[in-house]
Amino acid sequence: MRKIVALAMGAVLVWGMVALGEVLKIEFNTLFHEADAKAMEEIINLFNASHTNIQVELIQGRWAQYYAELRLSVIAGTPPQLGICHTYRLVEMVDYLTPLDASPVGNLIQMGGINPADFPKATWDAGELAGHHYLIPLDTHGWGLWYNKDIFAAAGLDPDKPPQTMGEFMAACEAIKAAGYYAFHPAEDALPRKLRRAWEIFFYQLGGGALFDEGYTKATFNNPEGLVALQFLVDIFNNFGWNIVGGNGYNQFTAGKLGMLFAGNWFYPTARDSGVNWGYAPVPNFFGTPYTWGASHQLCIPLQPAGTSPAVYQATMEVARWVVEHSYIWTMSGGHIAAYKQAAEDPTLLASDYWTRSGNLLNEMAQKGLVKFPINHPRGSELEKAIETYIELAVNGKITPAAALAQAEAECNKILQGR
Amino acid sequence: MTKIKAWAPYLVMYAIAFLWVIPTLWVAETAFKPNPDIFSIPPKWFPSRLTTAHIAQLFASWPFGRWLLNSLILASLVTAGSLFVSTLAAFSFARLQWRGRDAAFLTILVFMLLPLEVSVIPLYFMMIRFRLLNTIYGAALPMIALPIGVFLLRQFFLNIPRDLDDAARIDGCSSLGVLTRVIIPNSIPVFAAYGMYIFNYAWNEFFWSLICLRSAQKVTLPVGLRLIQGAFEINYGLITSAAFMASLPSLVVFLILRQRIIRGIALSSGIKG
Amino acid sequence: MKNKLTRFLYRHRGIEGIVYVLPFAALWGVFLAWPVGYGIYLSLFEWNPIKGSRFVGLENYVALFRDVRFLNALANTFKFAALAVPLILGLGLLFALMLWSWGRTRRGVGFVQAVLFFPYLLTVSTVAITWKWMFDPDFGLVTHAFKALKVPAPVFLTEPAWALPAIAFATAWWLSGYRMVVFQAGLGDIPQELFEVASIDGARFHHKFLHIILPLLKPALLFSLVLTIISAFRTFGQVLMMTEGGPGRSTEVLALYLYWTAFEYFKIGKAAASGVVLLVLTLILTLIGVKLLGLKSELQ
Repeated sequence: MRKIVALAMGAVLVWGMVALGEVLKIEFNTLFHEADAKAMEEIINLFNASHTNIQVELIQGRWAQYYAELRLSVIAGTPPQLGICHTYRLVEMVDYLTPLDASPVGNLIQMGGINPADFPKATWDAGELAGHHYLIPLDTHGWGLWYNKDIFAAAGLDPDKPPQTMGEFMAACEAIKAAGYYAFHPAEDALPRKLRRAWEIFFYQLGGGALFDEGYTKATFNNPEGLVALQFLVDIFNNFGWNIVGGNGYNQFTAGKLGMLFAGNWFYPTARDSGVNWGYAPVPNFFGTPYTWGASHQLCIPLQPAGTSPAVYQATMEVARWVVEHSYIWTMSGGHIAAYKQAAEDPTLLASDYWTRSGNLLNEMAQKGLVKFPINHPRGSELEKAIETYIELAVNGKITPAAALAQAEAECNKILQGR
Repeated sequence: MTKIKAWAPYLVMYAIAFLWVIPTLWVAETAFKPNPDIFSIPPKWFPSRLTTAHIAQLFASWPFGRWLLNSLILASLVTAGSLFVSTLAAFSFARLQWRGRDAAFLTILVFMLLPLEVSVIPLYFMMIRFRLLNTIYGAALPMIALPIGVFLLRQFFLNIPRDLDDAARIDGCSSLGVLTRVIIPNSIPVFAAYGMYIFNYAWNEFFWSLICLRSAQKVTLPVGLRLIQGAFEINYGLITSAAFMASLPSLVVFLILRQRIIRGIALSSGIKG
Repeated sequence: MKNKLTRFLYRHRGIEGIVYVLPFAALWGVFLAWPVGYGIYLSLFEWNPIKGSRFVGLENYVALFRDVRFLNALANTFKFAALAVPLILGLGLLFALMLWSWGRTRRGVGFVQAVLFFPYLLTVSTVAITWKWMFDPDFGLVTHAFKALKVPAPVFLTEPAWALPAIAFATAWWLSGYRMVVFQAGLGDIPQELFEVASIDGARFHHKFLHIILPLLKPALLFSLVLTIISAFRTFGQVLMMTEGGPGRSTEVLALYLYWTAFEYFKIGKAAASGVVLLVLTLILTLIGVKLLGLKSELQ
């Protein structure tokens, strides 16, 4: 009896070692869904097909809760090997990430053969904090102006000349309104966070400065520029007659009832399939500098349990490099502008419908430094929630813009000071 | 005059029923309408043509079939598990003597309506530890030992005449024998009623499933619908077709088992023993 | 072997009872009772295992009751219950009475009952999607209906004053069918003779309702009341999917607050504390319910 048990245990041990030696499993968690998730799946499938010694298990689909899950899995000692982190979440997440330049097994950036010069400097630097480097850039994404060419024609506007200045924009809106359509929607589906993004665009264009002071001791957005920006946003829904409170821009645009829409590059598959004859342009210059709202997805290695073997780190970096080097797929099907410079030279990408109709314009905005990233603070999501809550109330006409900013400022300061 | 009097109740009842069914019909209709008809003002009651494009798109871009399967597995696991453990426990509370029994039952009873919300955070840690996060088992386990099951079954068992037990005991049955030969055969209606209750409960559970299941392949129907709705592109044709497809199984089961379900509720509503 | 076991169990019948309860008790203890206890324990900490958790006593609770957002969520929870519970029970009772008084002697009523009951079988997500679509300010049916009646339609889900009632109504559409069936069962138990006697005495319907139906239906009504209030306190899915707590924070309820505090802002201690508040509210209600219904007598 004992012999059999010993034999069995030995067999299991040998089998386990063989299995370990053969295939390293890398878990890769993302917060992507739909077109994005498909694009990432495509990249990872290519990887798995061309590697026998490393296999990646991709878990994705959840946008909410993602960061909490990442942290909890680190705490529980069962983190994925590879993850995604928005640059603006770095400060919040830093305790839970492996410093790539000083990991327990050495400098992973060198070990993985990643060259910082392959990325735009600002994007690369966004992954740095307190002297260490944590992130590998994947993309820049952001908002642009989508417009309906047929509506432009019906309103007597030139379908190939979307408005790019305030004057042109006002004229275009009035013409579209007169033709019997919704003129403009500044915020995708009008969720509070989208309204806040629209306000941020106007705020930055006006030169309102930063939303918070340098040390994040207090809010600084309650200034004349902030007020003008919010008043403009409120007027779009309440005074100009360009849209209605609660209107869903995605739906209105897809239904061919909306002239112009601010939306992210992720709107591309919907626009393409909608049957609408659409065009794309950079965000117009309303107030001085044509900034737009955007962010950057980057790759990260969550803090691994002590004693994780160098082979696992090495394999993870191999996956990371593969994802970056194949990010032209990411751009083509997901619509986000790849951060890896060589990706933007891929001929299939350059010839693709997405790139020629909208991607190149977003890329231009990004290259010109016109994409403003969100705030980066340990309690950033709470601060943003506070701001957008009052912005939404102002847009709904429940409080004045001045009151909205004052209340948002008070609540942000409370968050910054208190527990 | 008498004719009107005879027909008025019908008129009122059917008018109310019609109002009640409109939202469901409207969703079902939207699911098959082409986009221009969906977004038409005023609404088109009768679409210019019917299309299955939304449903095709639903299956092409989301693992909808998988969600259906996950929901079925989850609900079946919970139902089977809950019936099993609740029956044993209810039998013990109803028929066996042991010290502390009544105190234990009272404890469970007081916790009967305990909101799961309090425990989601510890549960979440636990599931990570046990490596059950993002699995159907992790989603199912907290739903199995529901006090309400023990409460209902016990109440029903108490109404089964004790003489039957005694007769079985005299024939040499152990407690297990009493349970399998007397109690269970006499309790089929309450099993059916509680089974349907708990199946429906698990089928519809949202809060914990939302937290526990994270990859698009692993989620159940209610959470899957949330994934579609929470995605960047919102498309009413797609989302109503998802809602419609998600209600189809309920509708089919309901059409077949209507009387039984309604009688089951009367039985499990806690006021009839 | 089997005989031995049987005899052992017979001799130790005290143990036998416990053995039968064990599977349930184990699952209940591990997945229901323990997490609740641990949740209460967590609520006393500023929780951060990476940098070290800190025992803070009741500080999380103090912080909660100073947090306008929490107080708002608490108020919204009560407001929602005050709106939804009467709607659910009222409609359920109305439907039950309608089917009972008109239905018994008529055919073709099963269909009406089926239609009124069916929404209960839909998942919360379906209900939310359905009503979000009904309330859509551009293309929703409710909006069209108001337009057809030439009444200016409020934009239900983006109007702070209307959003919570709209969600409460959607919830009533979803759940009142269930209550209807429960009440129908209660009505079915009322002996016919009572009515015959009353009819001979020349009693009108409202007399019958007040003096016969209501007293006899009281247990069912009270039981439903407690259950419905508790489920209203726990409302989550409808709100998350219809408004995400907006506009502003006018529909942010307790469960939603807890979800965000824990899984978005990662303040585990504070979230646990808000969970304990929800727990206490529910327990109080349950105890009131137990008292009102005399459930304790069930033990005899």
